[in-house]
Amino acid sequence: MQELGRIHQLIIPFFGHNLTFNLEVIAMSWIVMAILIVFGFFAAKKKSRFPGPLQAVGELFVGQLFSLTEDALDKKRRKTYGPLICALFMFLVISNWLGIIPYLEEPTKDLNTPLALGLLGFVIAHYAGIKARGIKEYTKAYFEPFIIMMPLNVIGELAKVVSISFRLFGNIMGGSIIILVVSYLTYSVLLPPFLNAFFGLFVGTIQAFVFTMLTVVYISVQVN
Amino acid sequence: MSYEIQTWVRVAAYLGGGLAMGFGAIGAAIGEGHTAAQANIAVSRSPKNSGDIFKSMLVGQAVAESASIFALVIAMLLLFTNFANPTYITVAVMISAGLCMGLGAIGSGVGSGYPAGAACIGMSRQPGVANKLTTNMLIGSAVCQTPAIFALVTSFILLFTNFSDRPVNPTWAAILGAGLASGLGAIGSGIGGGLVAETSCEGIARQPLCSQSVTNIMLLGQAVTQTTAIYGLLVSFILMFKFMPASDTISSAMALLAAGICMGVGAIGPGIGEGVTARSAVSAISRNKDATASITRVMLVGQAVAESTGIYALVIALVLIFVV
Repeated sequence: MQELGRIHQLIIPFFGHNLTFNLEVIAMSWIVMAILIVFGFFAAKKKSRFPGPLQAVGELFVGQLFSLTEDALDKKRRKTYGPLICALFMFLVISNWLGIIPYLEEPTKDLNTPLALGLLGFVIAHYAGIKARGIKEYTKAYFEPFIIMMPLNVIGELAKVVSISFRLFGNIMGGSIIILVVSYLTYSVLLPPFLNAFFGLFVGTIQAFVFTMLTVVYISVQVN
Repeated sequence: MSYEIQTWVRVAAYLGGGLAMGFGAIGAAIGEGHTAAQANIAVSRSPKNSGDIFKSMLVGQAVAESASIFALVIAMLLLFTNFANPTYITVAVMISAGLCMGLGAIGSGVGSGYPAGAACIGMSRQPGVANKLTTNMLIGSAVCQTPAIFALVTSFILLFTNFSDRPVNPTWAAILGAGLASGLGAIGSGIGGGLVAETSCEGIARQPLCSQSVTNIMLLGQAVTQTTAIYGLLVSFILMFKFMPASDTISSAMALLAAGICMGVGAIGPGIGEGVTARSAVSAISRNKDATASITRVMLVGQAVAESTGIYALVIALVLIFVV
């Protein structure tokens, strides 16, 4: 139980500020990226009309997510945002599944990872909005319906970043805490594999999908 | 009457454990009762499929029960864990953790009973899509548990963070406020998410061809419905991790407690309201699949407007913490 809330940190002084690196989270994110790069390399190595197993999985990911993006945006924007959405979903899925392997942890368990991805989606959505509607229309939307609503509209937009990142963080963190505590209470007999399957695989996949879907929707709300 | 600190901590542990399991038992029981009621109706409509319906009822009730099991885990921890070096803050921590998990389990328990009931009815109507219905019900109920998981995270962080270097006076109120914000805030979102999942099961039974888009929009609607529960979580994180300077007056402590209550109670209404919006949107999509894009847009805008009262509560809570 002592492991709860323990973080390996590397703190480097930098012009009077302390730069803090969460080493475990960085290492785990690199593992996820390595898995994805290796998967991508082998999936696209021998492209053929009769796909091998890896190519079939890759095509499944790309096809489903591209059609999801096309439903929410349109055909032209699918080309721009499709790869981003695909990469986001695959990164999140592998991240959330990583915890079921012993000695590895989900990088999404640390609030910094979901927050960074949430900010990424936020910036891209607003860039897309400015590009699609022009800066004048974009700014005008904040003063609807009355001018005095401006601060609340801005807070509402910022709250989207908070909600999207805390949702992922809370679910993954909660799952891993439950697994840890139940393993401790039952001396790791019988229950933990089922909990790993439920919270790691099932909830992890759903939450990765929800995060991706919300990012698409935030872009589509800004664009239209 | 003066007791030792150890006595107070035992008293708080018993009180917290009782509150956690007492409140935590409300929601799941209601939800499971609802599921069983719907299953009875379903069996009377189509006795042939009673095997499938019975199985689906049991699975649905098991998922609905998990919120209560979270409360049970917290209650056991409170009763059987010995905390080293207790202070008066530990007393507040134990009561707050119990309240938080107990209140937080209500919404998810009630909510995840709805999709299970609707799945039973759906199986009596369309026995051919039983698999699709079960999958959709499991996804819907699992997402319904999210607010309860948020409450669980808050309770655990409360129990296992070392608050002993904080000044007692405003911190006790901050800790109670953190528990109330997360616990009360989870009620509305849990019930709302359940309403969305219920109509999605109904919709799939009505029109199995649109199951993909119904499940997608259900997830979207539930995710937006949870937003106010997440504001509650955010306020409790700020209350737990912001260092409050010591003070002699009671007013600064009351501001922190009020911030927690404000966010917690303020999150109940928007959670249910957004759930009602998404429920109708999902039902509309199952009736008219071609209009999915425009229905989704109307749903999102409607939910954003329904959420504005939750944002007012968030603003007032932040003002109470940082300004007052």
